[in-house]
Amino acid sequence: MIKQILQFSINRRWLVLSLMAVLIAIGAWSYQQLPIDAVPDITNVQVQINTEAPGYSPLEAEQRISFIVENALAGLPNLDYTRSLSRYGLSQVTVVFEEGTDIYFARNLVSQRLGQIKSQLPSGLEPEMGPIATGLGEVFMYSLSAQAGAMQEDGSPYDATALREIQDWIIKPQLLLVKGVTEINTIGGYAKQYHITPDPIKLLQYQVSLEDVVDALQRNNQNRGAGYVEHNGQQLLIRSSAQLRNIADIKQVTVTHHAGFPVPLSEVAEVALGKELRTGAATRDGEETVLGTAFMLVGENARTVAKAVAEKLESVNKTLPAGVVAEAVYNRTTLVDKTIHTVATNLLEGALLVVAVLFFLLGNVRAALITAMVIPLSMLATITGMVQVGVSANLMSLGALDFGLIVDGAVIIVENTVRRLSEAQSQQKGRTLDLKERLAVVYEATNEVIRPSLFGIGIITVVYLPLFTLAGVEGKMFHPMAATVVMALVAASVLSLTLVPAAIAIFMKGKISEKESFVIRGAKNIYRGLLGFALKLRWLMVSVATLLVVVSAWLATTLGSEFIPQLDEGDIALHALRIPGTGLDQAVSMQSILEQRLKEFPQVDKVFAKIGTAEVATDPMPPSVADNFVILKPRSEWPDPKMSKQALVDEMVSAVTKLPGNNYEFTQPIQMRFNELVSGVRSDLGVKVFGDDLEQLLESGEEILHVLEELDGVADARLEQVSGLPMLSVQPKRAALARYGLDAGALQDWLATAIGGQSAGLIFEGDRRFDMVVRLPEVQRTNLHALASLPIPLANGAYVPLSEVADLELAPGPNQISRESGKRRVVVTANVRGRDLGSFVAEAQQRIAEDVELPAGYWLDYGGTFEQLESASKRLSLVVPATLLVILGLLLMMFGTLRDALIIFSGVPLALTGGVFALWIRDLPLSISAGVGFIALSGIAVLNGLVMLTFIRQLWHEQGNLEQAIIEGALIRLRPVLMTAMVASLGFIPMALNTGIGAEVQRPLATVVIGGIVSSTLLTLLVLPALYRIVHGRQNID
Amino acid sequence: MNMTSSLKYFFLLSLALVVSISTALLSHSVAAETSSGYEDEHEGHAEEVRKGPHRGRLLAKGDFEVELAIFEKGMPPEYRAWATVGGEIIAPADWSLSVTLMRLGGKVDDFSFSAREDYLLGAGVVEEPHSFDVAVEAVYQGQKYAWSFPSHEGRLEISTEIAEKAGVRSDVARAGSMKQMSHLYGRLIADPQNISLVQARFPGLIRKINVSVGDEVKAGQVVAEVEANESLKRYPLRAPISGTVTQRFLNPGELAAEGPLMTIVNHQQVWLELNLFPADVRRVKVGQAVEVKLGDTLVAGKIDHVNLGSGSALAATARVVLDNKEQRWPLGLMVGADVVVGVVNAPLVVANSALQNFRDWTVAFIQVGNTYEIRPLTLGRTDGEVTEVLEGLNLGDRYVVENSYLLKADLEKSGASHDH
Repeated sequence: MIKQILQFSINRRWLVLSLMAVLIAIGAWSYQQLPIDAVPDITNVQVQINTEAPGYSPLEAEQRISFIVENALAGLPNLDYTRSLSRYGLSQVTVVFEEGTDIYFARNLVSQRLGQIKSQLPSGLEPEMGPIATGLGEVFMYSLSAQAGAMQEDGSPYDATALREIQDWIIKPQLLLVKGVTEINTIGGYAKQYHITPDPIKLLQYQVSLEDVVDALQRNNQNRGAGYVEHNGQQLLIRSSAQLRNIADIKQVTVTHHAGFPVPLSEVAEVALGKELRTGAATRDGEETVLGTAFMLVGENARTVAKAVAEKLESVNKTLPAGVVAEAVYNRTTLVDKTIHTVATNLLEGALLVVAVLFFLLGNVRAALITAMVIPLSMLATITGMVQVGVSANLMSLGALDFGLIVDGAVIIVENTVRRLSEAQSQQKGRTLDLKERLAVVYEATNEVIRPSLFGIGIITVVYLPLFTLAGVEGKMFHPMAATVVMALVAASVLSLTLVPAAIAIFMKGKISEKESFVIRGAKNIYRGLLGFALKLRWLMVSVATLLVVVSAWLATTLGSEFIPQLDEGDIALHALRIPGTGLDQAVSMQSILEQRLKEFPQVDKVFAKIGTAEVATDPMPPSVADNFVILKPRSEWPDPKMSKQALVDEMVSAVTKLPGNNYEFTQPIQMRFNELVSGVRSDLGVKVFGDDLEQLLESGEEILHVLEELDGVADARLEQVSGLPMLSVQPKRAALARYGLDAGALQDWLATAIGGQSAGLIFEGDRRFDMVVRLPEVQRTNLHALASLPIPLANGAYVPLSEVADLELAPGPNQISRESGKRRVVVTANVRGRDLGSFVAEAQQRIAEDVELPAGYWLDYGGTFEQLESASKRLSLVVPATLLVILGLLLMMFGTLRDALIIFSGVPLALTGGVFALWIRDLPLSISAGVGFIALSGIAVLNGLVMLTFIRQLWHEQGNLEQAIIEGALIRLRPVLMTAMVASLGFIPMALNTGIGAEVQRPLATVVIGGIVSSTLLTLLVLPALYRIVHGRQNID
Repeated sequence: MNMTSSLKYFFLLSLALVVSISTALLSHSVAAETSSGYEDEHEGHAEEVRKGPHRGRLLAKGDFEVELAIFEKGMPPEYRAWATVGGEIIAPADWSLSVTLMRLGGKVDDFSFSAREDYLLGAGVVEEPHSFDVAVEAVYQGQKYAWSFPSHEGRLEISTEIAEKAGVRSDVARAGSMKQMSHLYGRLIADPQNISLVQARFPGLIRKINVSVGDEVKAGQVVAEVEANESLKRYPLRAPISGTVTQRFLNPGELAAEGPLMTIVNHQQVWLELNLFPADVRRVKVGQAVEVKLGDTLVAGKIDHVNLGSGSALAATARVVLDNKEQRWPLGLMVGADVVVGVVNAPLVVANSALQNFRDWTVAFIQVGNTYEIRPLTLGRTDGEVTEVLEGLNLGDRYVVENSYLLKADLEKSGASHDH
């Protein structure tokens, strides 16, 4: 079939060429559709269900919301597991679906179930699904600020409430319209509220309860339609409008009648704009601010969306009141551009190097150009494939593309054709070949090498297959890489089968100048001598090679290791952690000092932070935790542009640890978001204790912690922070309540309204709407000492002080309650240093089983990264040998003898040797990136051997003299071997040397390939013939 | 050597290498994952403290080794010490020990030791907090051994600049008085002696009424004239008290018989009747000072009367007589009042804003230079502003009054351990 295709391509060469135009068109169109981002998305398929429950403590949120929601979701199709978090005022249930589940399908299922449980939830609570976004979703952030001297209409300066109003009602609605934005999340400032704060004494005076106030407001704040009447032929709509419009209106509402006179609200209460009981705050450069975050819809192009939002924000700024500015503080475009720039430079430089080498070694511009043409074409085909498969362009997916590798097949074909054409020409004594002859030569030459080259490409493709077996986060990082490379290789092989012969047939006419460049001639001379030497000392060669392999195997074990190299995002993120129970205002003031300190660094451009939970609880944090973003200036503006980022981070660490009251975790913005979303257990070992009683869980957790702390090699052993939230608990005295005709419910209702506040409807200001809240005045609410004597009105007009009917007690309560798969749990986590993980986990399990006794109904579950590692290494230890066997099988198919297959196969360890040495020389750790490099190497090594051995074998069969065949064949193949090796390694050189953003992921891979190719080429040229001589020499003698 | 076997060797090696690289990749460590994320690691104390079999601190010089432990299981903490030579325990009678604790602020505690079963026991209680610089001196066979080491807990240092920025402010602990208040509510009512229902002595026809509602009258002033039915003589009706006419029931020409003609109320003095709940009854006594909040003004008064009620319903009241010469307050007004139920003069008080919960204690932070340290306190009464300190702090100590939360936060962030 290959022959037919070849024949067709050569005969219908113009058709093939015009098909390429189609390919270009499709590729160009696909490029427009290609999602571009900095890193691959490693978020799992998940739906967050947030239920805001104002005033609910963690226990109530869990009992009355999380539990019900979780149970309702049990048994969904494709459900992986659920987990939930109950905090003050919030229940968050995260539903994780199996990989590959369609997110819209999943959300649909969830929404159906949520509809069914509405009646079981406390009234007024509305579970909502989080935005349709992934960990890469936070593409754009902006902060609001008022310039000095800017005044509101009423002459007061803009405060956090006013800025928040601008964000909520001017900026957010406009940004939500931007295509690809699914949510604008606001944090910081105070949502404007009208506060009605009754004086408890006045309430007693007029015998009005808080409830009466709420009622009065609700009954006097409505517009109603009353149908229509026909009047003189026209239809008149009837409408009564009684909506309250402003503070003066509210003050006029009649609350009750006293001695025949109406009592207006203003008599019993103050009415003013107030601050909501917020759950989050935002700061920038030490000042409170309002922060908006744009979430990108799943599958959109981060760069485009962030750009569009930025542009929209520009135009929105013009509509803001004078003096108020919304400024972008984080824009993903910057990072994506930088990363893509790095990748693009690498690819471009690589491609140019490849073209240069081709020209240099082939000595024929046309031939070089034909080969080089394969690069953009296969790239376009790959992009088309990526769009079809849904792989986004990013550092990882494009990171392993080596044009040298891609054009290998084409190089072999072109090289052979050029050689044959020039040979044929010289036979014709300088006469140019006519078309028919030329086509025949091209066909023959191509046919001669097409099989080995296709085979080689096939093998390279096969070696990438183990990457597809990686699961979890590694899978998500490396599947796109493998997919892209495989697609590129397939595209290249199709092109070398069709386009390359067609193009040669068309363009390689006239006099074929095949100057053996002096490099090749020189190389051949040297090589001839070396080869003879190698064949003579063949045993020595083989032994030295074996020795090298052994040494490198040892060397490999001494290299450091790193799971996945971390992409440097250019900016810094840090969690500032404070003790649980820290209040928002306290946190803001601590944050302010921290930010001022960070801002003192000359490298820092902006510092901003989100404290606590935003409006949409995509990341529910308590007020004691702040996500800080440190945006750095361009390096050129640093005092020392060469300073490494790690050094800067170290300096920051030492500076901020001096500030009291904060603990820190340094990370990076995207990384931080991934961690929050993927969550689960992030340490090496996580021991989960499941059970009913929180106290018991905590106790067992502590026991396990003690056991872990005593093991060798343990580090950062921690018990999940579940307790320690200070609470003022109001315990009703039932007998006393009964004496005054009250019940616990009445007391709680009063307490909730008095302290927490109760919504009494909305005030509309045009399209804007604001809550009216009834609660006690700030002085009364916040004075704990006076709380006890607050009067609770009774039905008969009398009252009773709170302390008379309830005990007030300060006691710590649960900070948060976590559940997983429908059960309460606490997690004990630990990392392992300087000891192998497997034995540590085994010992931990054994010790826990011996020393920790769990009550009935409690059980343990072991999780953590060790699980992934275990399963990944198990899988790889099966798949890698299997792949090697497949390669061997392919070789066997090609040669029909096991011996030759094995000889070629011996190139693999020799290639790996160079890779290991290269890593060692550059002091890089082993990582999965480097692993991918080794995988690519195995393919290249086999390809090299294949090209050489096929020829030698052919010559040997034709001429019958083994030694001569080896020497002649090896010499003829010197050029293609050198060429493929050089293009492949030179293609990677920019990657290996680049230091731009994102280069750290590609560097190990490129280093391994370059090192490996050098060793592989040397050994292919010298050891392989020697080995062949040894193996087949014996055969001859036999 | 067999050719194929050498090939097999190659093949095996290649397998081994590939497998070893891939497993090395995966099995090595995940530690890398955390280290790549710039995690800030607090390694705690750099200096490793050696622990003995009694969980005490081991101090060694040559062969001679002392284990000094604070023993506090179910009893006030005390020092116990064991000594060994070359691992062999020596009898407590054969050696002697003295320990000096230098605390922050210059307080020095000396401990002398006496022999018990197999250990030396320090005389006296090791007071909390167990934070001090320790000097240990042991004598064994005429040889002196001395050690000194810091053993700090609940102590931290903050530079003046940062403390200022963070709003950490301190004050000197001094004596103070606390007003213990009871917050009560009540209503203004008229003094019953100051209400007069003016009535005709003899039934008759009202000829004249001189005043109308709202008029001020003086005691003795003629307010009406009535013509008696029997004598048909006119006689004047005089106001029995000075006050304001608040009600008028009859007009001239009408018959004055059983009912009153008018009500005169004297507003010069009003009664504030405060409701007493059972808990208040025990505390509110006649003569106690009261601060009455009338609108925006605070009026001082005193409890003039306590009435424990008469019926079956709970209706104890306390009465405050208030001057109302300026006629500012209407009767029937609901008011709140703070009764000073007790004034305590305490030799030592701290501001309530200084108090924090730390472990099982309520603590204040003392300041010496840039160093701050917890002082677990035993507290007495409080008035919501300041609290009496019974134990744990000395007169004249500088303690943190504002933003002491920051200090607590800093101590707890690293999970301060209670360790000796």
